Amino acid sequence: MTDFELEDRLRQAALHYHRPPETPREEMWARIDAARAPRRGRGGILAFRPRLRWGIGIAAVLALGVGLGRLTVRAPAAAPVPARETNVALQLATAQYFDRTEAMLAGFRADAKTGRLDPTFVASAKDLLSTTRLMLDSPAAQHDPKLHALLDDLELVLAQITQLKSEPGSQDAEDIRFITQALEQRGVLLRLRAGVPAGPARAAAQGVL
Amino acid sequence: MNETELITRARAGDGAAERALYDAHVDRVYRLAYRLAGDDDLARDFTQDAFIRAFERLDTFRGEAAFSTWLHAITTSVVLNGLRKVKRLRGRERDLDDARDVAHGRRDSEPDLKARLARAIDDLPEGYRTVFLMHDVEGYTHEEIGAALDVETGTSKAQLSRARAKLREALKDFAGDWV
Repeated sequence: MTDFELEDRLRQAALHYHRPPETPREEMWARIDAARAPRRGRGGILAFRPRLRWGIGIAAVLALGVGLGRLTVRAPAAAPVPARETNVALQLATAQYFDRTEAMLAGFRADAKTGRLDPTFVASAKDLLSTTRLMLDSPAAQHDPKLHALLDDLELVLAQITQLKSEPGSQDAEDIRFITQALEQRGVLLRLRAGVPAGPARAAAQGVL
Repeated sequence: MNETELITRARAGDGAAERALYDAHVDRVYRLAYRLAGDDDLARDFTQDAFIRAFERLDTFRGEAAFSTWLHAITTSVVLNGLRKVKRLRGRERDLDDARDVAHGRRDSEPDLKARLARAIDDLPEGYRTVFLMHDVEGYTHEEIGAALDVETGTSKAQLSRARAKLREALKDFAGDWV
């Protein structure tokens, strides 16, 4: 067989690689619509002109830089922390927490389908559960019903994962199924992603706190 | 109503316009997400995430490129970032699988060439794999790939050529008995 023939057959065979099923159009739209519904109607209110948008962007970056700079300098022990800095720190901590939780749950769900659950998920869930409870008590969650509801759902899912046995292969398939069902039915991952800022903000949060 | 009008309406928060844009593009977005992820749950998540981000960022779409090009740039970013996270988490497990493969011999355990091809595609570097799947499997042009991945068209062509060469090399021992 010539290289050309091999390449042609290779392309034909590649069509079978990860062949997609029919698009689950309505199911996906239902979730997108649910995530978008609260945000619709606000469109156009903040439709800045390009130059103004850049200005605001630069100002935001500068403000973040100043905030981070101050956070990295040790303040005298008794000095009170200004509310604005606390907010920046909380936002960064929240972004980092969302990022870690999303990665853990996405990995958990993918592993759950193979029936071979990595025991490190149990340890990660314990760690994240503590953070979730701290965040539930934070002023941000107290004043934001949407965030509070998401954290409630995360607490439930993470608590269920921590109850799984940590030895490889010893987990109860029924328990795992209930957890993945809870993830799906409550749209936890999607809400988590909708609440997480885009890439650069996440990157900025890495290693800051 | 044309796409520009739909975009204008969607920017103003019109749900029906968002749905119309979704209907026009969802098949291609989902297919790409599925080809890259190989998992229905992940593909659904990535597709949903891509559309939500696109609708939220419609104000930043300036219309210099086609809406589909802009949407696919968001999609590839969402999918590749998402897959990197999943891969990091599953790294340890994958290492164990690879060790088992080495111990038992891949050639004997995978007589099916399609399975070998699938593994060879999985083993391609991320850039090569993405370009190969977009171009040779899903039929994107190099211009579309360049715009989606933010690389030059020449880079896309070069990566495709290297991807094909790597696959040929990985499968050359099967050239005589392809099924």
